[in-house]
Amino acid sequence: MTDAFWRRFIFPGGLWLLFFFVVPIGIAVLISLGENNEFGGVTYGWHSEHYGDALDPLFAPVLLRSVGYAAATAAICLLIGYPVAYCIARYGGRRRNLLIGLIMAPFLINYLVRTYAWVALLADEGLVNSVITDSGITSDPVQFLNTPWAVVGGLVYGYLGFMILPIYASLERMNPALIEAGKDLYGTPRQTFWHVTWPQTLPGVLAGTVLVFLPAVGDFVSAQLLGGPDTYMVGNLIQQQFFGADNWPFGAALTICLMVFLGLFVFLYLRATGRREALA
Amino acid sequence: MRRREFLLGGAALALAGCGVGPQSAPKPVAVKVVPPKIDGDLLIFNWTEYMNPKVIRRFEKHYGVQVTVSNFDSMPAMMAKLRSGNRYDLIFPTADYVNRLNRLAMLRPLDRGVLKNSGGIYDFFDDPWYDKDSAHTVPYGMYTTGIAWRADKVGELSESWGDLALDRAKGHTFMLDDFQEGIGQANLFNGFDLNTTAPDELEKSKQTLEHEKDFLRGYSTNPAPNLVNGSAWVHHAWNGDVVNARNQSKQPENLRFQTCKEGIPVGSDCMAIPANARHPGTATLFIDWMLDPETASENVSWFGYPMPIKGTEAAFAELAADDPAIQITTEQLANGSQFRELPPDGKVAWDRVWTEVKA
Amino acid sequence: MSVAAERPVEASAPRTARRRAPRPHDRPRTLWVITGIVYAFLFAPIFVVILFSFNSARSLQTFEGFSLRWYEEFFADETLRESLFTSLQIAAITTVVATVLGTTLALGMSRSRSRASGFAGLLLLIPLVTPEIVAGVSAFVLFAQLGIALSVTTIVLAHITFSISYVCVVVRGRLASMGTQIEEAALDLGATPLQAVRLVTLPALWPAILAAAMLVFVLSFDDFVLSFFTTGESPQPLPVRIYSALRFGISPTINAIGTLMLVVSAAIIALAIGLPRLLGRRESGVAVLTGRSTG
Repeated sequence: MTDAFWRRFIFPGGLWLLFFFVVPIGIAVLISLGENNEFGGVTYGWHSEHYGDALDPLFAPVLLRSVGYAAATAAICLLIGYPVAYCIARYGGRRRNLLIGLIMAPFLINYLVRTYAWVALLADEGLVNSVITDSGITSDPVQFLNTPWAVVGGLVYGYLGFMILPIYASLERMNPALIEAGKDLYGTPRQTFWHVTWPQTLPGVLAGTVLVFLPAVGDFVSAQLLGGPDTYMVGNLIQQQFFGADNWPFGAALTICLMVFLGLFVFLYLRATGRREALA
Repeated sequence: MRRREFLLGGAALALAGCGVGPQSAPKPVAVKVVPPKIDGDLLIFNWTEYMNPKVIRRFEKHYGVQVTVSNFDSMPAMMAKLRSGNRYDLIFPTADYVNRLNRLAMLRPLDRGVLKNSGGIYDFFDDPWYDKDSAHTVPYGMYTTGIAWRADKVGELSESWGDLALDRAKGHTFMLDDFQEGIGQANLFNGFDLNTTAPDELEKSKQTLEHEKDFLRGYSTNPAPNLVNGSAWVHHAWNGDVVNARNQSKQPENLRFQTCKEGIPVGSDCMAIPANARHPGTATLFIDWMLDPETASENVSWFGYPMPIKGTEAAFAELAADDPAIQITTEQLANGSQFRELPPDGKVAWDRVWTEVKA
Repeated sequence: MSVAAERPVEASAPRTARRRAPRPHDRPRTLWVITGIVYAFLFAPIFVVILFSFNSARSLQTFEGFSLRWYEEFFADETLRESLFTSLQIAAITTVVATVLGTTLALGMSRSRSRASGFAGLLLLIPLVTPEIVAGVSAFVLFAQLGIALSVTTIVLAHITFSISYVCVVVRGRLASMGTQIEEAALDLGATPLQAVRLVTLPALWPAILAAAMLVFVLSFDDFVLSFFTTGESPQPLPVRIYSALRFGISPTINAIGTLMLVVSAAIIALAIGLPRLLGRRESGVAVLTGRSTG
């Protein structure tokens, strides 16, 4: 079957993506260079001041904070996700599919409802604090909500599955003979892990990291529901421009800046995996 | 070099006048007033939980139509959806947004004469500042903004906007996540006009907001649950929120509300029919339905805000029995500070202040 | 052969035992403890949601008694019912279209070595890693510029756009491990290329396609941000209604809605996992989703 034959298959999906994804980004660029007119619309032109505003050092903390939270999220997801994926892959036995399915089960409840359930759990007079105060650990309730950790916790909760699944997939695909060989070569399990298992699963780890880190940077729901006054993220800022301040050009400029910034990370990721298909 | 300049210039010319959304003044709305008659199902666009569902269901049963309620969570969100061409039959803008909608010719004219219950509307609304001759709207709820608090946690407050920065409530204070309300209270606290756009005054208000931010636990548009579950000891809130909080709380006597001596933002929102509504007749009929004193009273008891309709005073008096602070009268509306539509530069300045404070 | 088969092999290799230190990973208690804690973390809110959906009181803090009142309120509210139906409708259409587009794209990209394939690979990657707010904004401005009124159709269009990548990734994974031998065999037997695809490749790909469809359905049903930006006047999908409710007034009905959505999603997944078994396949959808296949 010739290349030409298969090439035709690319067109339906490819054209769709081109029109519905690439073109809108072009429009967003146009809007970011336009200005608000007095009639409630946006007129195109060349007004680059919105980019000046977007890159204003005033907003740098917002972006840095978002990146920071997302990085923390990815790190925590990796720290707790890897052992879980490993445990299920190696010791899950026949129940393995069920166990992995159960990991994904929380995603069947709507993200908003799940996040809000955390509010019920972590509120000052909520379940967790009732247990803490009743058992006498402290007498004052611990403030969990409206803190940066609550936001990171919410993000971890929302994206953990996207870390576990790729790692599990790459563990599953690993040839177990390699572990055997590794044991013979390295002796201790820890060495075997570092020299054999970890490198083999690196594509899964990278995929998971990217799938968690990038979307988390732009998340705004966790910050809005669980955050405090100092947890404003770039997603909230963008949302504010479209549905609060009615300033589409500024919002579009922020969006484009965010995309460029994330594009850099994607570029680095592609370099790291050498363009090999490393996802799932 | 020449060719590139030419191309760039050509592109600039081509783009000039292009854009997204309206690029020129809207054509005046030449729509006839529609009599209140069923002409299809009704699509309402409103805040969440801002209308008694029983009232809606009775309307549905009585006229045999289906009523759908879609929700927005802020005025700009409502505007964004309207601007993108969504067609609703009945919307609930605040007074200053009515002003803006009229300027953009987005509202259908309404003739009070065809509404049999319109006689019950308070006279103040016959020619309000935001809608000359009340040609497009009918008032819905009246509200004030103040401070709600848990008396069992912080005792008494001092009837001032400064109570949003109390040491003993530090870390348990919330501000409304609304740029108008936030900047507005800072303006009033500093003795400025509620709607000022003077740069030096805005700068001072910005500093007030940043100072208050140190005491905040968060920004929220949902005071009732925050107060009830104990996250909030002091909460920037609307008068109806306290009513709702008391309904949800086991110890309602602990929930108090105050208006502040430096100034009270008062406002009203309205029922209006967009110019592109699909079923304006049903919408007009629904407005008339809502204006009936009994129906309005039932609504008042449910959503906790007073309505400027004769005959609903008893219902609200019951809610406000031991709390005159949540009452609002048309005198207050006439004399209180109302949010006005800001001039474009002013709006940009306000947005900037709010974004800077929150960032 | 799977990783779990490793253990019997170890047991029959005593000669190497001398060289090795005690192997804690044979009794992986810490691992299981960590896993258990993570499961508890994942399921705690689910437990809360389901439990409080049956709460007789309005509180989200104290459980007072068993009651179905929130479910009654949900089913009595026509607008909410319509929202549920709308969400299902959107998810269904999105699943069908995205699966078709994604599968063809995956086939084209795996089997072709042209530049178009490389470019498509890049194009494909971006929706996967784009924050949803960027996706929502782009969709919103596209429709605004084209003057297309927002409606269920616009939501579906946006959902499809962002689901294609997920389908493509899942199917490509399967294609990569499949190899082209069966197609070549079919061609040798006299099939035309198109027949080979239809009669050989697609059936072999079926579990992957099903798994991808399942993933897309759940993602679309649950989606909030994209829907928020592209929803028309009515009906609004369920997550958008939930968001408005969360911003302004929490009714415990939200927990009932969440539980209902859980039940629906679980049913769809059970169907998708069970269907291959029913149709006589050896593998389940979950296995294919994670890339492990028995060929």
